[in-house]
Amino acid sequence: MNTPLTCIALVGLALCSGAALGQGQPQDEGSVSRAEHEALRNDLETLRAEMAAMRKARQANERAAHQDATQAPTWIELERMRLRQDMIEQTLLEAKYGESNFHFTGFAFTRFTNVEGADSSFTAVVAPIILWELSDRLLFETELEFGLETEDGEGKTEVELEYAHASYILNDYVTLGAGKFLTPFGIFGERLHPAWINKLPDAPLPFGHHGGLVPMSSLGAYVRGGFPLGDAKGNYSFYVSNGPSLNVEGHGVGTLDFENFGDINNNKAFGGRVGFLPWPEIEVGYSFQFADVTPSGFDQQADALLQSIDVSYVTESDLLGGLIDLRFEWVFSDVDDVAFAAEVEGHAEEGGHAEEEEEGNEAFITFNNERSGGYLQLAFRPTKSDMEFLRNLEFVGRYGWLDLPSGAPDAFDQERWTIGVNYWLNPSTVLKIAYEHTEIDGGDDFDAIKAMFAIGF
Amino acid sequence: MTTKTNSHTSIRILFVVGLVWVGLLGCKTEQQIADRQPDPVAMTQIGDEASLAITGGAKLWAQNCIRCHNIRNPASLSDRQWEIVLHHMRVRANLTAQEHELILEFLKAAN
Ligand code: HEC
Repeated sequence: MNTPLTCIALVGLALCSGAALGQGQPQDEGSVSRAEHEALRNDLETLRAEMAAMRKARQANERAAHQDATQAPTWIELERMRLRQDMIEQTLLEAKYGESNFHFTGFAFTRFTNVEGADSSFTAVVAPIILWELSDRLLFETELEFGLETEDGEGKTEVELEYAHASYILNDYVTLGAGKFLTPFGIFGERLHPAWINKLPDAPLPFGHHGGLVPMSSLGAYVRGGFPLGDAKGNYSFYVSNGPSLNVEGHGVGTLDFENFGDINNNKAFGGRVGFLPWPEIEVGYSFQFADVTPSGFDQQADALLQSIDVSYVTESDLLGGLIDLRFEWVFSDVDDVAFAAEVEGHAEEGGHAEEEEEGNEAFITFNNERSGGYLQLAFRPTKSDMEFLRNLEFVGRYGWLDLPSGAPDAFDQERWTIGVNYWLNPSTVLKIAYEHTEIDGGDDFDAIKAMFAIGF
Repeated sequence: MTTKTNSHTSIRILFVVGLVWVGLLGCKTEQQIADRQPDPVAMTQIGDEASLAITGGAKLWAQNCIRCHNIRNPASLSDRQWEIVLHHMRVRANLTAQEHELILEFLKAAN
């Protein structure tokens, strides 16, 4: 082996192992260099900061978890929410189905009248109606009418019980009822008089609460119903009621008082109407009422027979581009002729029908107590027009007449022509304006302008 | 008196002629009214099984409820209110039992 080379190798080995030993063992045990100390301190600070951040994060998590735990709804709250949901559902259902056995309805109007020779005037009426369905067969209905009147220069509120009656559907063809009801005599009183239905601001001549030829309402009992007749239809209404009484004194002698609610004798009035609809658009009706109308204390017997025919025709015509509404009624009243005390001076005595008799010191008058009256009304509404304004317009014409007995005091035949225009704001809200011309036999003709704003609610 | 009575009679004869005339005009439209279709919106809300009866009800509604006054929107009243009002109308208008039932069914579906 080469000795110098071996020596170099040994020295190298010694040096290498010395360096290695120097690295593996501290030169001075228990003390570190400054650099090492700084490095270690930095490490520690970093660790501390990381731990603090971790603790913070954990605390934040814990707090959040705790908060969640305290905010979660308890079972009471859940129950409350469920109840609230039920209530909302119930309210929604009620809005669609409704619950009540009562239904509040009716109508209101304000009317302006300017009649030639009289002061023009406004009036207002509200007529609430309450319907109470006690079962699906039993219905109670009532209408009150609140109006205004002036008596002795003082304004008053007038209240009338228009009707209050209960009805019971016995079977498909028979409904029974009793109370104060709109009289099913003709069609105006029972079907057309409410202000939002009547197409003109006033009633036709033979109708109306005062001075009309027919009863508007009656106190008694009725039986009524409708039935199919093949493709056609029929209906009937019969009633027994207290009935009217004959006016035997004062200006209205010979007329019938339909507003006497206590009966004047033990005899009741019998009446009714039968209707026939060959097609759904057309109805013809015949009405009658028979009554003993002798007032108590009057010494002569007087019976009254009232009869009427009516025709209704309502259809939407393509040819005319709108809705036609035609009504016709003709009423006849025949009251037994009796002798009335002649208190009234200056009564009409034409045609030789009236007779005046002297019996001792008392004077009597008698006349053929037959009356008739009627009306024909035609309305047209261009429901097929493209313009909304036109669709809401309605044009109405009516001719009415009253034939009264010649010889009866203060009884003058009348004819009345009315034309009117209506504007419908919705199916039951209407503004009506009408012009009227009335001719009085033996008196002065007069004109009138009438306007009405009516709402059915 | 006599002249008045004469003028009354001629006017009334005119009315009867007028009545017949308007009647003839209207007869042409009879079928159209009978065929009037119910509100399509209402029809989409009901099942097939009920729709037949309701189409019948809609027709009866269009034919009957216009006879005395304007027709009100079915949506203007709730089911319960229609029940009471239809009860009222059945008595007032002498509706047949079937008309009552079918029209009510239609109104409840269409409101
Ligand atoms: C024979 C005539 C007539 C017919 C047909 C008729 N009504 Fe009426 N209707 C009236 C009258 C009259 C009133 C007003 C009631 C009152 O003032 O006493 C009325 C009132 C109403 C009202 C207001 C609420 C109420 O009960 O008073 C509604 C809604 C109504 N009718 C819907 C109908 C419907 C729906 C039909 C079809 C089934 C119908 N009417 C058929 C005559 C009729």
